[in-house]
Formats: sequence, structure tokens, C-alpha cells
Amino acid sequence: MNGHVKALILILVCLAALIPFASGDPDGLEKVAETLGVEETESLSSGLMPDYTVPTVENAYGSTLAAGFIGVFLVLGATLLLGKTITKHDKQ
Amino acid sequence: MHIPDGFLSLTICVLMYAASAGFLVWSWKKAKNAYSSSVTPLLAVSSAFVFAAQMINFPILYGTSGHLVGGTFLAVLLGPYVAILSMTIVLMMQALIFADGGLTTFGANVFNMAIIGGLSYFIVKSFTRESKSSNRFFLSVFAASWISMVLGALACGLQIGFSPIFSEAGGVAVTVPAMLFWHILIGLGEATITATLLTQLKRMPSTLLSSFTVLRGGLE
Repeated sequence: MNGHVKALILILVCLAALIPFASGDPDGLEKVAETLGVEETESLSSGLMPDYTVPTVENAYGSTLAAGFIGVFLVLGATLLLGKTITKHDKQ
Repeated sequence: MHIPDGFLSLTICVLMYAASAGFLVWSWKKAKNAYSSSVTPLLAVSSAFVFAAQMINFPILYGTSGHLVGGTFLAVLLGPYVAILSMTIVLMMQALIFADGGLTTFGANVFNMAIIGGLSYFIVKSFTRESKSSNRFFLSVFAASWISMVLGALACGLQIGFSPIFSEAGGVAVTVPAMLFWHILIGLGEATITATLLTQLKRMPSTLLSSFTVLRGGLE
């Protein structure tokens, strides 16, 4: 199997394995805002999958996992397109 | 470190959009035709990795967490210009689809993570110089990724500190030290992960990186 496909599978497996261990605590910036009493306002767009969840999936793990997999493939697709656009095409 | 909508004043949003746009145009010009198309799979898979890694927050201290940003990781693999572009795509997906980082603050987030992260390539390069030593490579990547996290946090601290919503709470005099405090710690996680991964990848006699010169040949 192609090395890149193997790497991609490894990424998906690791993501699936690590999601349950991901910390739900606020990150650095959220903590600073919290400490200073600044509240997050409604964001302009909540996106299709707010906070890495698929709204139609009820199971929390499944919902995050689905959002993560979709995100990985969206990034993969967009960056393949970027690569196709900016790299030289070997004429052979 | 993804700034949500509402944290930054309109002026700062506009300024950061302008600054980031300038860097993106510059990166696009530099990246265009710089590599052969065989690099595309590595570009895509490493960007997908960064997206996945950013979902996994690790605990730091006192109920605070952090996650890999991955700017230095992409910069060492792909060079600074392509890294800036691919990190921008990751941030764009996060803002558009996952509501992670605002739309008005997107310019600032690109600046703090994609541009500072991509440019950390030059820190790695100035630390490694001509050396082929893998210890030196590890330490250079460690230092560069830590510095890029801390600089990103500094930029973020300034941006929020000069925005009205944080000025009542004390402004930059408070936001900058607070952002630095947390990200000096989170940066150690970033640095450990980035340096470990890249050192392992560099060691791999793999076909995965065979097409690739940035990591293979030391940093040009």
C-alpha cells in the first residue's frame, strides 16, 4: 500500500483512539477570557458541525468522531487541490 | 488560541485581515511552481494530520488545556510558504464548518498560527545551520515550535488587549502576561510533539518523504 494512504489510515486510527482522552478543559485563550470575566458572544456562523459535533449523531463519541473524520477528508481534499494548483506539473 | 467572533475590535479585525492577506499573496507567489507535483500527497496528508491533532486537547495545569497548532511541523516538512497556505486551509475549515475561530477574527487567527507558524521555518534553519546532527535538529525544532507558540500568544494577547471587550478588564497589561503564561506551558507540549515527530520522520528511510528535500537534505 502507498505510504501516504498508510499514514492517513494511521491518522484516522489515532484520532479515533485519542478522542476519548482529549481534554474538555478551556484552552489558553478561553481560560484568559474566563479569568478576566469576558464572555464569548454568539459567533457569526455556528457552522455545520459546531464544536466538532455532528448534530444528528446523539452519541457524544460518535458525533465527535464523525466530525473529525469529515474534517480530515475536507482538509485532505482542499489541500490536494492546493497542491495541484501550486506545484509544477512534470511534463512526461 | 482560536479567537472567536466578538473578541476583537473592527479596526483590529481589518488590520489583521490586511496583514494576513499580504503574507498569503507573498507565500502564494513564493510557493507557486516551487515544487514538483509529487509533493502534493505529503502536503495533503500532513495538513490532515494537523487538523486531526488540533482536535486532541491535552491538559496543562489548573483546568486548562492546549493542543498542537502544528505550524512548525508543516513548515519543516513543506517549507515556510506552502506551510502558511496549508495551515490557512486548516484554519478556514475550522472557522467555516466547525465554528472554531470566528469569521471576523479569521485574519488574526491566520496571522497568529499560520503565518507565525510557517515563518518559524527560518528559526529552525538558523538553529540547525549546516549541521546533520539529529540532536541538534531535535533541539532546533523544539525551540522553534516553542517560540512560534509564544509569539502567536503574544500577538493574540496584543490583539485582544487592544480590543474594547478586554480593555475594561485591564487591556494589554493583563492579557499579554496571561496569554504568555499559558502558552509558555502549552508551547512545551507543542515543542515536544513537533520535535519528536519530525525527528522520527527524518529517520524513516521511507518512500513517504523520498520525494522531499526540505526534511531529507537537512534544511536548505
